[in-house]
Amino acid sequence: MKEETLVSALTFAAACFMAVFSLAPFLYMFATSFSASPDYLTGGFNFTLANYSDVLGVRSLHFLDYLRNSLVVSFVSSAATVLLASLAAYAITRLEMKGKAAILLFVLAVSMFPQVSLIGYLFRVMTELDLINTRTALVLPYIAWILPLALWILVSYFAQIPKELDRAAVIDGCTKWQVLFKVLLPVALPGIFSTALLSFIFAFNEFLFALMLTTDYQSRTIPVGIALFQGLHGETPWGQIMAASTLTTLPILLFTLLFQRHIVQGLTRGAVKG
Amino acid sequence: MKKRFFSSLEPYLFVAPLALFVVFFVFIPILGTVWSSFYSDVTFLERRFSFLQNYGALFSDPGFWKSLRFTLLFISVAVPLELIIGTAFAVVLDLEIPLRGLLRACVLIPWAIPSAISARIWELIYNYSFGLANFLLAKTGLARGPVNWLGTDFGAFAAVTAADVWKTAPFVAIIVLAGLQAVPRDLKLQAKIDRANFAQVFFKVTLPLLKPVLVVALLFRTIDSLRIFDVLYVLTHGGPGGATASVSLYAYKYFLGGDFGYGSAASVALFLVSFALSCLCVKYSGFTEAAS
Amino acid sequence: MKSLLKLAVLLPLLVSACSKKPAELVFAVGGAPNELDFWETVAADFRKETGISVRILRQPTDSDQRRQGILIPLKAEKNDPDVFLMDIAWIPQFAASGWLRDLDAAAGAPVDTAPFWKNIVDRSDRYGGKLVALPVYVDAGLLYYRKDLLKKYGYAKPPATWKDLLEISARVQAAVRKENPEFYAFAWQGAQYEGLVCDFLEFAGAKGGLRTENGRLLAATPENIKALAFMRDLVSKYKISPPNTYTEMKEEEVRLFFQKGNALFERNWPYAWGLHQAEGSPVKDKTGICPLPGFAGPDSVSTLGGWHIGLSKYSDKPEDAARFIKYVLSKKVQKELSLKLGWNPARRDVYGDPEVLKVHPHFTQLRNIFDNAVPRPGLPYYTQVSEALQRRLNAGVSGNEEPAAALEAAQKEIDAVAARYGGGK
Repeated sequence: MKEETLVSALTFAAACFMAVFSLAPFLYMFATSFSASPDYLTGGFNFTLANYSDVLGVRSLHFLDYLRNSLVVSFVSSAATVLLASLAAYAITRLEMKGKAAILLFVLAVSMFPQVSLIGYLFRVMTELDLINTRTALVLPYIAWILPLALWILVSYFAQIPKELDRAAVIDGCTKWQVLFKVLLPVALPGIFSTALLSFIFAFNEFLFALMLTTDYQSRTIPVGIALFQGLHGETPWGQIMAASTLTTLPILLFTLLFQRHIVQGLTRGAVKG
Repeated sequence: MKKRFFSSLEPYLFVAPLALFVVFFVFIPILGTVWSSFYSDVTFLERRFSFLQNYGALFSDPGFWKSLRFTLLFISVAVPLELIIGTAFAVVLDLEIPLRGLLRACVLIPWAIPSAISARIWELIYNYSFGLANFLLAKTGLARGPVNWLGTDFGAFAAVTAADVWKTAPFVAIIVLAGLQAVPRDLKLQAKIDRANFAQVFFKVTLPLLKPVLVVALLFRTIDSLRIFDVLYVLTHGGPGGATASVSLYAYKYFLGGDFGYGSAASVALFLVSFALSCLCVKYSGFTEAAS
Repeated sequence: MKSLLKLAVLLPLLVSACSKKPAELVFAVGGAPNELDFWETVAADFRKETGISVRILRQPTDSDQRRQGILIPLKAEKNDPDVFLMDIAWIPQFAASGWLRDLDAAAGAPVDTAPFWKNIVDRSDRYGGKLVALPVYVDAGLLYYRKDLLKKYGYAKPPATWKDLLEISARVQAAVRKENPEFYAFAWQGAQYEGLVCDFLEFAGAKGGLRTENGRLLAATPENIKALAFMRDLVSKYKISPPNTYTEMKEEEVRLFFQKGNALFERNWPYAWGLHQAEGSPVKDKTGICPLPGFAGPDSVSTLGGWHIGLSKYSDKPEDAARFIKYVLSKKVQKELSLKLGWNPARRDVYGDPEVLKVHPHFTQLRNIFDNAVPRPGLPYYTQVSEALQRRLNAGVSGNEEPAAALEAAQKEIDAVAARYGGGK
């Protein structure tokens, strides 16, 4: 009996530690964003909303532009990735073709390349195409960059769906396209959703491509925007940076809380079943 | 006959768009970078073929070796820490505790936030005059004076490692958790009946079964740590004195100096290291076994 | 199938369609907040006068990040920004890369350079016989000091030598610490960035610095080693400079440190003057300026800085851009620059303007300082030289490398850089 209480107390302590470990930096960010000056730990806390009104209200800080670019780029990349990966995953799990294993391995190898070894040439290609500083310049490499992950996850989802399902559809006279779009995709919807979520997060977090391929607020994404943030009050404008970070983080936070099951599933499919 | 030919091609049609994207935006750029690395391509000089000259300069530059050493050292410290902390988290998450789902989501959050943003939070935490880290040290009396986190080689290394472990341990936790949940309950139960304690069960029964999952985590984390860039770009800019410049950051600095040939050579070198390391990982960890 | 293909092709186009280009002149400029506000008003006035609208592209304060923000679009041959401010040290690279238009040609007639400091224009703004840039304002390192504190502790004059500075600092710091534990006597720029090289050249004095001998840039000279050791000692031996000097201290960090009343001396550019004297500043009317000290008295040096305006080769509105440049360099705007921001305009006639002298009596002093200002080496590959120097100097200041070893390592790197890029076009 005693041992059990000890164990559950230890477990509780460990759980608390984990929560604090993960969230403390965000609480610090949150507190700083409402403070008139960043040295409130020793200097006293003065509550203010000025950081938020600056970040949201001053157009030349371009916070909302960065956020919009990030959302557009991530959304388009994620949608296109899921679409392309579904097509390929369908062929790999359902159709007769040679070299399935080769395709999967090839794609896996691709996901291991360091980004910096693409960027020099991508920069030249985008210059030739006159795409530097457009969102397209980010969407195209992002799709290619995230596709391997998406493919691995979707292959494992599709492989789980019983083959009888599409055989029945074929007997009913469906074409391959119809089988994919009318039978498989609806059944695999949770998997598609997980994949889309993960793709979105990957695109949203990308930094190096965005740093090299964009030059101003017309296409710059939020991670680069915050990394290069220039405030209105000299020095490093910590209050504004933290306000901008909070505004970016909160939606992801809610997103993660709401959809954690899907994210976890996607991650484990991609990693464990691979 | 013709129809059959087409239908045998059809599966490839499904794969083609994906393949095109990967070839155009990953494969060709890699080859292009290799090709560029054979050129003297500096904004203010005539572009000319120089074959291995960039590599000669690269290999004789102590800055490059320093960045490679930092990168490898970083991996060998950060990745084991991530695996240990991640596995510990996974073990707790596997227990039957109240609000387990919420806790799992909390742990996941650092992973989901862009590292450029979390790096800025860490930058503030490490701030010399008013950061949280020095405040806590002063409050608890652990250090005599404020620590210059980003100013010393060791401090900056520790700071960068902590920020990265914090961000990526959740990833390990989540996939190890999946591995744990695949361990049959009966096995644990059986061990309990045999009066094994918690630690014995974990090390003798669970851990061996987790090996494939841990190998995957090791591989992913190693490859990913090798290209570390954003955290360093924000936190230290490679300082102090180049002590925390990864190979990625080193190459990037040359791109920005206008020397695209040399920057390409440095990135090709990183690519080769990355390739060699993943081959090693696969060979010695039995990844192929695990996959099959 | 067809619709899918269409989608695949259209998707990227849809995305790019959102980012259309406004028809205006784009001027990339960065710096302290009041600087950006000033440029906004200049742009508005210019529009009123000419009907040409100018968009200010806000850039960070950090000089490396500003450089990155201009280099990427130029390398990518983008038509934005049309006009930009360049640090004086970038001009050789930008010009050698062919990114700067001939300003005489763009204006349609030779630009009158007589109003400017002739030595600066000749040394920095001409490349291959062409006028590729023009100075907007001139910078040189200064010593700021707290008049009130010096007086309180019985010093009539600011220090002329580093030895004096050490003595005064030690005494004043010990006394002021009792009330203000965050007080350090001397704040300067020690972070790993271009500013560190500028400060180093000043510590190195008239006999040291980056001199060329038989075409070779010399870094590891005895004077330079002595200077680097002194910089390190300021932080770790004499402890009169804050310990975050070599991690965080750039212009703005130093300026704010001094402005909060936490320092007795400050090495900074002239722009800090206006901010220190601004309403609400704790050091208002307590600040003085003088030339930086030297090791043997009058051998002091200050690094020539300043920002110059250039016109992109890829600009699609060169005529409008040339008009804007002319406007920025007109006496009216240059005068405002000094009155509103406290900077040193590049036009000499502003320095004789009674209205300006009334507000800035210190302008007479600045002239001498500019005469002694030392330019940084005018090499297209200066960035690479500076990158190596920044790294090694920072390692030296932080104590991670011995000063002599750090500079010898820097020398090796500089030699390698020169061998690689010295060929010329």
